[in-house]
Amino acid sequence: METLASVVGIGALPVGKYNDVLEHEMLLRALIEAMADAGLSKHDIDALAFCLPRPYAEQRYFGTFMAGYLEIPIDDILVEVLGNGMTGGLAFDIAVDRVATGKAKVAVALGVNRELHVPTGEHMHLSMRAVGDVDFHVPFGVTPIAWYAFNATRYMHDYGLTREQLAAIPVKNRRHARLNPLAQLRKEITVEDVLNARPIVRPLGLLDVPPRSDGAVAIVVARPDIARSLGRGVDVVGRGFYHEGVHQVSSRPRDLTTFESAQVASAKAYKSAGITAADLDFAEVYAPCSIVELILTESIGLFPKGTGGVAAADGATSIGGQVPISPSGGLASRGHPPHVTPLYNVYEAVQQLRGEAGDRQIAGASIGAVTAELGDYNATMMHILTSAGEARS
Amino acid sequence: MTDTLAYPPRVTAFTATFWDGLREGKFRTTRCLRCRHITFPPKPVCPECWSDDLEWIDLSGRGILRSYTEVSAAPAIFAAEAPYVLCLVDLDEGIRCLSRVLADWDDLTPDLRVRVKIREAEPTYLFDFVLDEEGEVR
Repeated sequence: METLASVVGIGALPVGKYNDVLEHEMLLRALIEAMADAGLSKHDIDALAFCLPRPYAEQRYFGTFMAGYLEIPIDDILVEVLGNGMTGGLAFDIAVDRVATGKAKVAVALGVNRELHVPTGEHMHLSMRAVGDVDFHVPFGVTPIAWYAFNATRYMHDYGLTREQLAAIPVKNRRHARLNPLAQLRKEITVEDVLNARPIVRPLGLLDVPPRSDGAVAIVVARPDIARSLGRGVDVVGRGFYHEGVHQVSSRPRDLTTFESAQVASAKAYKSAGITAADLDFAEVYAPCSIVELILTESIGLFPKGTGGVAAADGATSIGGQVPISPSGGLASRGHPPHVTPLYNVYEAVQQLRGEAGDRQIAGASIGAVTAELGDYNATMMHILTSAGEARS
Repeated sequence: MTDTLAYPPRVTAFTATFWDGLREGKFRTTRCLRCRHITFPPKPVCPECWSDDLEWIDLSGRGILRSYTEVSAAPAIFAAEAPYVLCLVDLDEGIRCLSRVLADWDDLTPDLRVRVKIREAEPTYLFDFVLDEEGEVR
């Protein structure tokens, strides 16, 4: 196990609705919190990797605007990245890479995603154009969440998964979110609530899918020796990425009940960290829907195929269970500002690995995985994080 | 009855062969003359071997219902059509289409045989799927 880089500071706004503030007013709060957490100043920052804001954000050219707004000269690189749901994962990966390759001593991955000021129907008019082929798929009225429903229909048919078993996942996530001060939705829900929620993309209902959300996060990454001197290290010890060469709707028949990209990317991440899936104390995953979390836990090797639903219903993925999944509450309860959701995942993993997760602390958490994805999990990014010192064993 | 498409496709010199074909009752795509790979949507280059030596072929329009979902929360311009059932169909030629299946939710189950039904619409025709009762021999 070799440390690529360390996370030395984290800052985030509670996920929710921010109608009366500007994008940069949100992000600067997260950035200043993260830098204070690290014990560093703006003069220490060599690289900034921004998540591209939503297309309807008023302020364009956001990254360089932000560097100007806070007067941060940058030596190494300043970039704005976009990869739909993977956007935050790419920003974090770039920050880690700039440090791991010696180009930067300190790099910050950061972003703001504000969307609740735009009505849902109008937002969907943009987001549907990201689904499949705009000329050959969109004219049917496809929506970004519909492809996960295709996964659900097929999985229920092939493996006899019941709606009740699937509903255990949102219920578990809400239970976790109730312990997370950053979470958007914290009212307790039951299996019956999930089953009775209004349909969105049948068989998935309102409580199987994420809310729309605003949020801002900053993650400060530094060279491991700097982290040691700051006494602030969580280490990044593994990384895997894979894109299937498929954009949601494959041109060829293929399995809808496994995420190939997650299988490949997780295998690479475990190998680079020198661990196996069984070594994970938890995973904080990018799973917009109940069915996505289920299939993902199988695809990254935590449960045998066809058993993820029973495992979740039996509590294996709850805090205190065999391998807690999304102790933060996950996308459907913590909230889902998509471009920065992967950075919220890193934030949660760092809190867990520092032992600072309060009532939702996983006892003895020392190795965790975070994922980001795009499409129908057509691409996966996984990073493996450990509590400081773990890497030298 | 002729519908007006809420979100019509763009028609180019290349894709016109497909969209005009629907008006003639033909459901077409491209096949590579070098490696014989068939793809959908039709493409001006074979995605398997990147050859541009292609031919247009008529598809059977028959296949199996791989999966489906009923959309209740639709984008604003499709709201008047909701709820509607989207489907993934794996055609007998070994290619996958996304479309709508014109059937009641309760009549659907994965792996049913389906066949294409051309939808008269403007500015282009479109294609949906219906259950293929005759093809129900497996």
